[in-house]
This record gives sequence, structure tokens and C-alpha cells, in this order.
Amino acid sequence: MSENSLGEFEELVLLIVAAHNTEAYGVLILEKLEEHLKKKVNISAIHVTLKRMSVKGYVESSFGGITGERGGRRKKYYSVTALGKKMLDQQYELRTSIYKQIPNISFEG
Amino acid sequence: MIPQPPKTALKFLRWFCKSDYLEEIEGDLIELYELQFVSSSVKAKLFFIWRVFLSFRPAFIRSIPILKHSNIKSMLQHNILISYRNFKKYKSSFLINLIGLSSGLACVLFIWLWVDDELSVDKFHSKDARLYQVLENVKQADGIITRKTTPGVMSQTLLEEMPEVINAVTTTMLLGSEYLLSVGDNNLRMTGIFSDHAFFEMFSFKLVEGNPSSVFQDKKSIVISEKLAAALFKENESAIGKMIEWEHNRQYIVSGVMEDLPSNASEKFDFVLSFEHFRDNNSWIRNWFNTYPQTYVQLEEGTDIDLFNSKIADLVKNKTENKATHRIPFVTAFSDFYLYGQYKNGKQAGGRIDYVKLFSLIAVFILIIACINFMNLSTARASRRLKEVGVKKAMGAQRKSLIFQFLSESVITVLLSSIVALFLVAIFLPSFNNITNKQLVLELAPRFTFVLSGILILTGLLAGIYPAIYLSGFNPIMIIKGKMNNQSKEKWIRQGLVVFQFSLSIILIVSVLVVYKQIEFTQTENMGYKNENVLIVQKTGKLNNSDKLKLFKTEVMALQEVTAASVSNHTLSGNNGGTYGFTWPGKDPEDRTEFERVSVDYGFIELLDIQLVAGRPFSESFGSDSSKIMLNQAAIDYMQMEDPVGKSVKLWGDDREIIGVTENFHFASFKDEVTPLFLFLAPESSDNILIKLEKGKEKLAIEKIEALHAAINDGFLFDSYFLDTNYNVLYESEKRVSILSAYFAGLAIIISALGLVGLAAFTAERRLKEISIRKILGSGEFNIVLLLARDFTKMVIISIVIALPISYFFTKEWLNSYAYRIDLSWWFFAGAGIFVLAIAWITVGVQTIKTSKVNPVDCLKSE
Repeated sequence: MSENSLGEFEELVLLIVAAHNTEAYGVLILEKLEEHLKKKVNISAIHVTLKRMSVKGYVESSFGGITGERGGRRKKYYSVTALGKKMLDQQYELRTSIYKQIPNISFEG
Repeated sequence: MIPQPPKTALKFLRWFCKSDYLEEIEGDLIELYELQFVSSSVKAKLFFIWRVFLSFRPAFIRSIPILKHSNIKSMLQHNILISYRNFKKYKSSFLINLIGLSSGLACVLFIWLWVDDELSVDKFHSKDARLYQVLENVKQADGIITRKTTPGVMSQTLLEEMPEVINAVTTTMLLGSEYLLSVGDNNLRMTGIFSDHAFFEMFSFKLVEGNPSSVFQDKKSIVISEKLAAALFKENESAIGKMIEWEHNRQYIVSGVMEDLPSNASEKFDFVLSFEHFRDNNSWIRNWFNTYPQTYVQLEEGTDIDLFNSKIADLVKNKTENKATHRIPFVTAFSDFYLYGQYKNGKQAGGRIDYVKLFSLIAVFILIIACINFMNLSTARASRRLKEVGVKKAMGAQRKSLIFQFLSESVITVLLSSIVALFLVAIFLPSFNNITNKQLVLELAPRFTFVLSGILILTGLLAGIYPAIYLSGFNPIMIIKGKMNNQSKEKWIRQGLVVFQFSLSIILIVSVLVVYKQIEFTQTENMGYKNENVLIVQKTGKLNNSDKLKLFKTEVMALQEVTAASVSNHTLSGNNGGTYGFTWPGKDPEDRTEFERVSVDYGFIELLDIQLVAGRPFSESFGSDSSKIMLNQAAIDYMQMEDPVGKSVKLWGDDREIIGVTENFHFASFKDEVTPLFLFLAPESSDNILIKLEKGKEKLAIEKIEALHAAINDGFLFDSYFLDTNYNVLYESEKRVSILSAYFAGLAIIISALGLVGLAAFTAERRLKEISIRKILGSGEFNIVLLLARDFTKMVIISIVIALPISYFFTKEWLNSYAYRIDLSWWFFAGAGIFVLAIAWITVGVQTIKTSKVNPVDCLKSE
């Protein structure tokens, strides 16, 4: 395993975080993911992934202010770090470079 | 309002979650909950709980402070890992332990639930510690009987004359019977009692509406339960002030609504009427000679009960001007009466508490049997762990930590078993409730969790301590050198434990057999009368009019499906009430022995097919028999009268000629000797109409009788039951006990047999080489089976020898509580012995036959 790894689900969550940088928090990520994937995702899986990526240094987080919603609990906003962004770029490049090597196959029917 | 998520789940989340993560996770979950709440609150709640559950994962669980950075944590991890590997490696012993311990634990939990419920009966009254019931010891010629009935003036007198008595109530709480209540066309038969005004002040039957101190200010008041109120009146409408008609006879005004009685109230009733009304209708209640209702008193705190009892001992004697010297009142704690309700010769002699003790004992026994399996299997397999122990010790492990390791292994096994046990309890609780006639529920209340963890720790220690000490005690040098120390002592202990297990199983089996046979005996033994197909119809309402009754009886008798009909106050299911107002020439004036009083109508003797010893039954063809009397043989024997027919005795001062003597039919339980009894003609004072139906046509007959009833006794509900169901109630508790103990005995023998399977498999495995060599030298398979089975047979036979005398003693004791009982025949014991031996052989046999078929080459080639 390389030093810096990024699992599939991690990648998805990281993408969402990057897309909604500094605005992303648990429930928002959940909604966006469900919207894109068109299937149910479970919130604790997202929590775990976020924690794991914080440890790896791909995301950083800060608390928002107290509001009347959520029983008075603060939201924890996530934003992507430089390392995180680099990982996303690498992944993207890796995939597109391999993808480009696919010969022009056409499927009939 | 902001919707609140389920509290318990939230608490749980806060409890386990790391504080760094808590705010974020909690906030997200609450936000999702609020979002979902808009569409469905139930769904939102369920999903919230589910999400909390999903969040319960290692990454979020806070670490236990002491375990952080300490040796203990890694030791624990190591122990758990080793246990897991052992379970995986030796699946059969793990399974045997799991099955044994989980069924044992399930048993203990069931019994604990039951015992806890029994012990809680009647304890819910807030003044419980100061509530006492007045009983009377009544001297008879052949001993003292203890009665719950007291004079109706007892409570008032105690309240006025005894300073210790703060409050007192006269009530018919133990004599609740069904009455017809109606509101408009809405008729219901419900159980009701009569009580003085202090009732709701003394007992904590909560009133939803009405004031406890004033509900019976007016004697036309009635207090009804919420259930009854809902059945009689419209919803959302206060029942207070509404009128209810009682037996189409009297009107009552609802003055209070009480909560439905809790399931742990010993007496169940749906409504309470003022006792004043009862006094008005029954003037005899006002003197000291008649006893009928119960008296309860609330004593001052710290009252010396013995002293108080000695103060009231002469009360009845004094109040009757030395006429009733044979009745001695005394008080006993109200809530004790349920468990300690039996008196023998004036002394407290157990009651339901005996069953509580019995089952607690059985629970402990079964758990011990399961623990023994664990001990035996662990020590027997010690050789497999020897190297592990040796290496650990050589590396410097202390004995203490090895003991800790083996104990944690047993505790883990017990924990796993407890999870299975909880599932078992949840699955079988409805059937258990059915057998015990209780409404037990399994809920993880703090108390239950506390007791459960207590049981688990105890079981873990009990099962694990001996193997732990034994296994950790090996000398490492000897082990690593390969020298096994002498194991004969261990073998002895192991065999002793197996003997103990099997002895317990045999005792249980014999007991179950005897209880079953005795119950069967009471069901099939000639009771001296025939109770099949006898329908009892309650004589209510208009049937109390003798013309109407006669009409009903004639019409019923005219039905094709009916063979006979009569009337009686007695339902032959226990003592119904007697009198000492029965005298004969030569009777000792001091003799207060009561003769059972049976009022009947013509045809009673013939209907029940009661056999006569002499004389004739009551008959209409002899003109007026209403001044005659019939007696049973016990009465004749008691009076020591010869040629009784034609002689004259006195009943309540009137002369009565004896016309017939019946055999001693069993009008009460087989537990009691048949006591003296007399029958006299008094259909008007009898509550039960007895109708003998033709066999096979019962259903049609009941329909026709009900139609007749509706025509003649219109407005009153038809209430009927069969005489033999009533009879069965007499032995209900015995029946329950016998069913339950049969299950428990079955379980005990299964767990024991399981242990034997484990041991046999192990022994066979250990002796594989020996067996192979024997086979090579020409030993047959049969011989090998015999060789292996010999040890086990010896153990089982020793247990039989030990258990049979003990079970003989116990069953004999139990049977002694019956006046009419079966003889203990030899085959109960032989049967139980052979049964256990057969089980042992089958379990051991299967294992050994498998071993004896082994190919010697496979076992010997590796050396």
C-alpha cells in the first residue's frame, strides 16, 4: 500500500468536500452523495471516512456558529487541504491517462 | 415545538462517543431526524435509533480511561484472542458449553422473573409495612383451623378499642364474585367486592377520579375500574355521577374511577360497592357469632405484633360473653398472606413460598449442572493447553495472570451464552407466561441488568475458578519435559462432578414422575361422584324467585339433551362453609367442630351419582322432606352413631330426621380428609343450578338452555361452566408445577448428557492409540465399546445409588401433604434409573462406536 492512499468511497466524499469547499458538513455531504449516487448512504460511514481523511491530512475542519437548528449543535465544516487537492488531481490524471489509452472500440447492437 | 429525538438512544450516543466527535455526529443525526420528522415521526425515531446503532463503531467509541496505555488492555486483548482461537479449534466443547450454559442461564432468568414477580405480589401498597390482615384460629375437636373470615363488627371494634389501630376496613376482598351491572341495555357481569370507606385510603389502588377519603360517603356509591368505565360509558366522558344498575335491583352512583388493578395484585376486582349496603341486606353481619368478611387494619408504626396479638386474643370471647371461646383472632402482615397463606393447626405452614423456594433451588441446580460441564471439559482438555501454560510460565508469566486468563475465557463463554439465553427467554416467554399464568415481560430495566450481570459474574467465576486454578498450577519444567503429573486426583474430581450432575437429574426425574402420577390420580381416582357433563348455571336475578326457578328447572328437564337437573350451594371444589349449629344427642357442648353445609334440591344425589351407604335420597314422592337431613359417612363416624337412619339430630335448634347416609365423596381437595357433611333441602338459598347433559350433545344442550334462560330470566346474563373445570382449578398450581418441573428436569438431563458426550469424546480421543493397539492384537469392536462405556456406566450407577434414596425421601415428604395419595411404587425409581442409564449409554455409545471403528493404521502411523 502506498503511503498516500485514497479509497473509492473516500474519493467520492473528498470530491464532494472539494466541490463545496468550506461549506461541506455531514448532512450536506450525505445529501449530495445520495443525489449523485442515487442510492441510500449511511451517515456514520461518512463520519468515519471524514475522520480517516482528517488523519491522513486530506481535509481540515472547523466548527460553525451555534444556530437554532440541530438541537443547538454546531456544524463541522470541512475543506480540502493542499494534499487532498493533490490526491484528487493525481487520481484524475491517472484515470484520464489510462482512459485515453482505450482504443476506439465500438459495440454494435 | 421542536421534535425531540428518542432520549435513550441519545443518551447512549453521548455515553459511548468520543467527546471530540460527539458534537458533530450528534448534530448531524439530529438534523437528519428533524428533516425526516416532517414526513413521519415514527420513521424518524426508528431511523435515529438505527443511525446511533450504526455509529457505535470502534473509531467513535471513547476509550476507557484506565485501559488507555496500560498493560491490562493488551493483556485483555491477548486473552480474548486466545479464547477465540480456542473456541475455533475445539468447536464441539465450545458448542457444548454454549448450549449448556445458555439453556441453564435461560432457565435461571425465567425462574428469576417468576420469583421476582411472586415476591412483588401485593407489595405495591405505599402503606404495605403497616397493613395487617385479621385472621381467626378456630379450635375444632381435631385441631385448629385458620380462617380469613371475621365478624363484620371486628374492624369498628378494633378501631375504637385499640390505640395502635390507625385505620381499619371491613371488606369482601377475598370473596369477590360476579354481579350483573347494567347501564341502559348494556349488561356486563363483572367481579365486585364490598368495602368500608377506608378502603382506598389504606390500600394504594389509585383513583383516577374521585377522592379516596370520600368515595363511600354515600352508601349508594360505586367505584369502578377504568376498564369497566370504558365498557359501560362512552369515551371521553367522565363516569362520575352516572347511574349503574346492579342486578336489575338497585341503583348506584359512580363516585370514583380507579386504575385497573396491577397484575401483581393478588385479588382482582372490577368494582367496589359500599359495605354499608351489604350490612343493610345482611343483618347477621352485625353480630360476633357470624363470620364472613375480611378485616384489614393499619397499625401504628413500630407496633409490637406479638403484643398486639396477645391483646386481641380474647376479643371474640369477651364480645360474645364467653360463648365463643374457640375463636382466637390475630393479625398477620397483609402482603405476606399471598406467599405464606397456609396454616396448619394454627401455625404458619408455608404456602406459595414453597414453590418459590423449590424453583429457586431447581434454577441453581440447573446452573450448577451447566457449570460442571464447563469445569469438566476444561480440566479434561488440560493436556491440550499444557504447552501453552508451560511456555508462558517459562517466559515469566505469574500464576495470577494465568488464572486471570482462564477466568476471562470462562467469563467470555458465559457472556456469549447470556446473549443466546436472552434470545431464548425472549422467544419462550409467551409460552412460559402461559404455563405460569403470569404477564412477565423481559425488559432491560436497571434492576434486571443488575441481577443479570450479577448472575453472569457468579456463573463465570463458578464455572471458571476451578479450571483456572488447576490449569495454572502445573509445573513448567515437568510440562516441557513432557512428564505428565499424576492426574488421578483430577479424574476423581471429574467423576465426582459427573455423579453429582446425574444425581440431580435423577432426583428431578423421579420428582416429576411422582408429581405427575399424583395429579393424574386426583383426576382419575373415584371421587365418589361423577362430575362429567354437569353444567353449572349461576342462579341470578329472577331465578331467585322460587316459582321462576321451578319453572326453569322443569323446562330444562324437559329438554331431550338433559338427563337431570338440581340445585345446590356447593360446587364440590373445596370447603364452602360449615356450621357448628349441628347437634346430636351426646354431643359435647364445648365441641365447635363444623359440619360442611350443603343445601340441595331434589335430585342432587341422583344427578351426581353419589352412592348411599344406607337409607334413601331426598325424594318428592315422600311428601315433605324439607325437615329431613342426610349425612355422609364421616359425619356418622364422627358422631359415633349406630343405625343412623330414622334417628333425629338438631340443625340450628330444629329436629331433623336422618333419612340417608352417603359414602364419603370428595367434596374438597384430595389434600384433605373427607370431613363431616350434611345435606338439607333448601333450593332457595343455593346459587348453582346443576344440569346433567347427555354425552355428545353438550353444545346443543347449552344453546337450548341459554335460550330458556333468556326467556325466563330476561335481562340477566347467562353464566355457566362445567363442574369438572371447577374441579380442575383445585389442582391448578400443582399442574403448573408439574409441567414446569417436567421441562426443567428434561433440560437438566439434556445438559448432563451433553457434558457426558463431551467427556466421552475426549476420553475416546485420548485412548485412540490404546484402542488401535488393542484392535491390532485382535480385540473386537464390541469389546472396545464395553471398555470405553465401563467408566461411564460406573459413574451413572453410583449416581443412581445416591439419588434414589434422596428422591424417595423428598417425594414421600411431598405426598404426605395429601390425605389421599398414590403409593410410591418401585418402578418410579427403577424407571428413572433405567432411563438415565439408557441416556448415558446412548450418548456415550455413539461416541465410542465411532472410535471403535477407527482404522488402527491411521492412528499409529505417525509415531
